[in-house]
Amino acid sequence: MGRSRAMGQADVAATALVAVAACAAVAGGAPAPVTIVLGIALFAAPGYLLGQLLLGSRTIGLERVVVMAALALAVPILGGLLLYAIRVPLHRPGWLGLLAGVTLAADTALFLRRRHSGVAPVTWRATWKAPRWHAVAFAAAILLAACGVGLASAGVTRQPQPGFTELWLSPQRQYAHILNLGVRNDQGRTTSYRVVLLRDGRTAATWNFTLGDGQIWQRPVPPAGQGILAAALYRLPDVTHPYRFVSTGTPRTTGP
Amino acid sequence: MTAAEESTGRRVAAFPERDPAVGTRAARSRLPVSVVALSAAVGVLLVAVADTAGRLGHGGAPWADRAYWLGQLLILAPVAARLLSRRVLAAAETVTLVVVLTLAEYLVKVCFSPAAFTYADELMHWRTATDIAQTGRLFTPNDLLPISPYYPGLEEVTTALASVTGLSLFTSGLIVAGLAHLLFVCILFVLFRLVSGSHRVAGVALLLYSSESLFGSFDSMFVYQTLALPFFGLAMLATYRLATLREAGHRAGWFTVAVLSAAATVVTHHVTSFLLVATLEVITLGALLTRDRRLAAWASVLALVSAAAFGAWIVLAAPSTVGYLQPVIDGSLQGLRALLTGGHSPAPPPVSAANGPLENQALSAAAVLLMSVLVPVGWWHAWHRYRHQPWVAALAIGAVSWYVIVAVRLFVDDGGELAGRASTFVFVPAGFIAALAVIRLTDNSLRWPVIRADVRRRAPMVIAIAVIVALVLVLNGLVNGWPPYWERLPGPYQVAGAERSVGPEQVASANWVLAILGPGNRFATDEGDLPVLGSYGDQDTVGDDGYLYTSPALTPAAAQQVQDQSIEYVLVDLRLSTMLPASGQYFPVDPNAGRYTRPLPRAGLAKFNQVPGVARIYDSGNIIIYDLQGSAYYGP
Repeated sequence: MGRSRAMGQADVAATALVAVAACAAVAGGAPAPVTIVLGIALFAAPGYLLGQLLLGSRTIGLERVVVMAALALAVPILGGLLLYAIRVPLHRPGWLGLLAGVTLAADTALFLRRRHSGVAPVTWRATWKAPRWHAVAFAAAILLAACGVGLASAGVTRQPQPGFTELWLSPQRQYAHILNLGVRNDQGRTTSYRVVLLRDGRTAATWNFTLGDGQIWQRPVPPAGQGILAAALYRLPDVTHPYRFVSTGTPRTTGP
Repeated sequence: MTAAEESTGRRVAAFPERDPAVGTRAARSRLPVSVVALSAAVGVLLVAVADTAGRLGHGGAPWADRAYWLGQLLILAPVAARLLSRRVLAAAETVTLVVVLTLAEYLVKVCFSPAAFTYADELMHWRTATDIAQTGRLFTPNDLLPISPYYPGLEEVTTALASVTGLSLFTSGLIVAGLAHLLFVCILFVLFRLVSGSHRVAGVALLLYSSESLFGSFDSMFVYQTLALPFFGLAMLATYRLATLREAGHRAGWFTVAVLSAAATVVTHHVTSFLLVATLEVITLGALLTRDRRLAAWASVLALVSAAAFGAWIVLAAPSTVGYLQPVIDGSLQGLRALLTGGHSPAPPPVSAANGPLENQALSAAAVLLMSVLVPVGWWHAWHRYRHQPWVAALAIGAVSWYVIVAVRLFVDDGGELAGRASTFVFVPAGFIAALAVIRLTDNSLRWPVIRADVRRRAPMVIAIAVIVALVLVLNGLVNGWPPYWERLPGPYQVAGAERSVGPEQVASANWVLAILGPGNRFATDEGDLPVLGSYGDQDTVGDDGYLYTSPALTPAAAQQVQDQSIEYVLVDLRLSTMLPASGQYFPVDPNAGRYTRPLPRAGLAKFNQVPGVARIYDSGNIIIYDLQGSAYYGP
């Protein structure tokens, strides 16, 4: 009798354990796979428990599953509003607290209800049992579909993209009084550059440098006042044709 | 009788289910659902091969296109054949087929852009989700889709999942959207099965529902409607249960589920919330017509609850909803009024790119014709068999909306877009009623003397015709849905090419803008760059700015318009002068849409270099950004 009652609360214990373990995994910096598995379990737990609390024993099978899944999705929606209303930031601690809190509260409610009413957890058995080779075929289907997604993902990384280099000369939002001159290499390989800074058409400074793919070169440049400040970027060894060009623009002498 | 039916104490008139337990060996199909699943997986793999071919520059090759369609056929044909077959099919097998179809089509969508969101609408919501994740606050401004932060359900769920698992927002978004899409389909299946008493009807109804043009795209995208739909469906299911359950304790639970579903719908999507109220009213009407007072009462109560929640949300949190929806509602009403009074609705411009090739249009016409024929047959059958069933009555009333969207599509300005968006909801009743027709026609055909004499030999022919009809409908949804024919496969950059306009250079420039200029600047840009600049760049983009790119020199009128629109920066993509727009329009608001015969003149794009005071602040080769502030555009 005692053992059967304990078995009847196994789901309550398991979900409570998930709530605690998920919080501990995040706090302890557990490896990504552990965090992912526990996080997904914690995400699903409130839906399962609310389903147990709200649905009668006669709601079974797919219907029960869809209601539980929808309730799991509803918890962050309505709970997130509540957190926002009480000014709790919607960052990791907030979401963890919400999901773990709802899980533990629902666990308590379910535990007490079962204890008082003696209601057993709802279980059901599938009426359709497929032969074993069907399971193998389904597994193969999952594997093939995963290969398809993997192939498509590999295609993205292999897709030939024309390389490019960004050159800019602009006031930065935080430091509007100074110009930011910069270059970013997205050519897909290491590239050597020359930047020539021009004040009113005359060379004010020259920089030669080499950037690896994705690397950035930046320099603060004081504004030219009423004059024109421009920068030409050359991709070495070609120093005759500017590869990119930016400028603060010609002075305004005439209107439209 | 299932436990659910026991609890309701009633059993609806239905197509008799064939009990699989008594199915003989001959009555069992030689195509098990596991083989159907395997075929669908091979189909996904073939589509992925076609996508990869497109990315590697073979998108124009006929074999890539054939691989894509062969993959789609491997997904669709076995599912359709199995659902329409006369062979014994258990309820679990039917559910499995529906799930296989839904998941396979979702994976096809994932394969199109498996590394990041590229659909414009997804980028809009990704921006809102990113804002929530970064600031920890709701209702942060989103210039790309200003209404989105006020319906944050999708983004809340996504950021919650990303936070507790450590997954990226993109991966979390894919999981949430896929789960929501599958959930909606499963809820519809449960509801259709309860209403019809037949999992066969439910399965075929879902097959026909999958023929709506947004099933594999917009309805499973990372957009707010995708998540609102399962709550919409769950509210319907709860209404069904509330009206049929006898135990008060169980009713309290289902009432809570209904209220939570309505609340979640309201917080997630405006149009779905509105349609939830409207649908509950239609159910009330169906219940009144069939004299089911309990259902009428429950549906009315839930309609009131939903309307009150939606109204309160609009007043307290999202007052901009009215302004957002008003133009759409006004335009539709104006068009419909013109249609009903025999007036003339301004015809849409001849956008050849939107209409598509002739064969696509022919398939579309055939599908419209088929559905238009099937719905009355379904009505006839519903009248004969389900006349006293309130839910079927409601679905029959709802199926009238099929003809409304056909009329809107044909006669209302920009009706194609509106009809397409509405099809997600219209196909719920229309798909069910059409399914009644398909099954009745199939079964009746086998009773014709000429066939009955030799059912064994001729039944496959009848089923084959039914499968072909279903395939025409579903393939029409794919061919004329999204992605459009001009970007069926991913590939190199296209001007105004939707997802194919999202490339590393666009993303890099948008990231630069956000990092250096900060968020929320008024930016002029083109159709292809706008979603990237608005999402990755978090900028306030202008849609009606074609004049800025097409005039060869600065004009007083252009300067005035720049000031009126408060444009601070212009993003110029020089490829606008080398390619025609794939979508038919260079700009989001483009009066010349569909009429371009040559690319934009280079002079119009390069003129900013000569305008006094205009600073050329960024150059990545194809993309140049100009700062107009303090320039001649803002006065002498």
